[in-house]
Amino acid sequence: MTETLFEKIWNSHVVVERENEPSLIYIDRHLVHEVTSPQAFDGLRLNNRKVRRPDLTIATIDHNVPTTDRSLPMIDETSSTQIKTLEQNCKDFGIKLFGINDPNQGIVHVIGPQLGITLPGSTIVCGDSHTSTQGAFGAFAFGIGTSEVEHTLATQTLWLEKPKTFEILANGQRKNSFAVTSKDIILSIIKKIGTDGGTGHVLEYRGNAISDLSMEQRMTICNMSIEAGSRAGLIAPDSKTFDYINNREYTPENYDNLVDTWKENLMSDPNSKFDKSFTINVEKIEPQVSWGTNPAMVSDVTGTIPTPEDYGKNNEIQVESAKKALAYMNLEPETPIVEIPIDRVFIGSCTNARLEDLKDAAEIVKGKKVNSNVNAMVVPGSQMVKHEAEKLGLDKIFKDANFEWRESGCSMCLGMNPDILKPGERCASTSNRNFEGRQGSGGRTHLVSPVMAAASAISGHFVDVREWC
Amino acid sequence: MIGNVIKYEQDNIDTDVIIPGTYLKIHDYNELATHAMEGIDPDFPSKVKEGDFIVAGKNFGCGSSREHAPIALSTCGIKAVIATSFARIFYRNSVDGAFLLPIEIDDITYQKISNSDQLEVNIEKNEIKNLTKNEVYSMKPFSEIIAKIIAAGGLFKYKK
Repeated sequence: MTETLFEKIWNSHVVVERENEPSLIYIDRHLVHEVTSPQAFDGLRLNNRKVRRPDLTIATIDHNVPTTDRSLPMIDETSSTQIKTLEQNCKDFGIKLFGINDPNQGIVHVIGPQLGITLPGSTIVCGDSHTSTQGAFGAFAFGIGTSEVEHTLATQTLWLEKPKTFEILANGQRKNSFAVTSKDIILSIIKKIGTDGGTGHVLEYRGNAISDLSMEQRMTICNMSIEAGSRAGLIAPDSKTFDYINNREYTPENYDNLVDTWKENLMSDPNSKFDKSFTINVEKIEPQVSWGTNPAMVSDVTGTIPTPEDYGKNNEIQVESAKKALAYMNLEPETPIVEIPIDRVFIGSCTNARLEDLKDAAEIVKGKKVNSNVNAMVVPGSQMVKHEAEKLGLDKIFKDANFEWRESGCSMCLGMNPDILKPGERCASTSNRNFEGRQGSGGRTHLVSPVMAAASAISGHFVDVREWC
Repeated sequence: MIGNVIKYEQDNIDTDVIIPGTYLKIHDYNELATHAMEGIDPDFPSKVKEGDFIVAGKNFGCGSSREHAPIALSTCGIKAVIATSFARIFYRNSVDGAFLLPIEIDDITYQKISNSDQLEVNIEKNEIKNLTKNEVYSMKPFSEIIAKIIAAGGLFKYKK
């Protein structure tokens, strides 16, 4: 019988499986951050439970850390309390913490891979929906809520309904592989399958357009799987995957043997059956810009803002949702995308703040200046990314162009720290969600790639970045 | 369960409008509840009553894994969200912590239910009675797995 990659990973982690019951699944790695964990630790204390496998549990602080000078005291007391709570919890329960001043601090989904903690074929959970990022390594990685965080801390297992499988086949060659990025591929996919197209499914991205991507580009794809409603996103590991994890701080000692096993096992069998399938040719993909208030409301950069009727076709709810989105975004139908002026630029988040993202954005910015109407910032995904970027002089390129160069964290992706939009401000953002108020109450978010964000910062409006490179 | 409907005629009501990110630092459930639905309906906490139901379109609760979303609604008194479909993390969070019931209905039922209608929800019979309009609708039954977690009173009580 043939099996998909997901089914192989699932089957190798089943502890208990009975008909019409959830399956008990073993969890290989549990990543923890300050926002979704406090109640879970409280629950453990209340019931006199220990953390079952502190050695498989790793914590960091990313959501509400300030991205400004960290030698100064934090102004926000509630954030400070939340951070201190995690520090105390990690101490009490014996969990390794990459704290606020640790050189390995960073966004949880960025540090897992860069430390060699994220391994192919493993199960990885975190109380955060963008855990799907790590599926780029051929791991079953998914976000959970705080009750499940507590369950994992206590038992190193979770009761799960087996998700269905969904093949996303991406073929062809991008016309300009610098200007048309993996962000544009995933936004194009979500535009087509919708924000609930993947509900109840694990997506497996396949095809030459996926294997052509670097590991960091693949992470951008898997990161946004959740924006299509999916449980997780997966890409079968290959030599790029194995090279990426090699020689990292936590790479296992028997790494070569592991790679041999992974090479043999971690792929969907030929002719294996998926519950759903979707095919896309990347040749025709243009740089993408979101115009609405969910990640399926996306347009080609050469396009215009749709009329609600065109967007909704004959579906009344969709027409109304487009009207509401346009009112929130303060946009008129039929406006060319390239004529939309912006106030802010955010290059950051677990979607697009790794070294390659910053390198590509710097390539666009080099020798130019941010438009005088725009306030632009770069927030590296981790302290390690920041350090490596500084070794390459990228910080100087950004600062010379009048970008702010910050410390690492989630920052303006979700507006939990002081990095937020003011009401009415319009932002070109490399993050993952353009929901109402996501980046600050009344703020307007346009999702774009790092090169598009960089070029827009210079121009003061969206541009066809293909003309720049 | 009998309660009144607060209806949002919208798809994709996301976790950032249910409880905006800035409030995820709050640990006190009652304080969290004062910000429920703030991104879409700032009057919600003052108008919601114990036992009320939210009715909405498809993909309710999409976005973040924050359990704060069902907690905020539940602490306000919401006993069930009745929607044409749910994002799965919100769905699981609602059930895992026994915060509220995520009930799926079809499009026709969704159209028939109006704001302020009084409903009686019976999950044993998979039935929703509209006491205001004197109509009866069926709800999509919970899967056996979810029904067992609900019956147990949450994830930790299941299989204890």
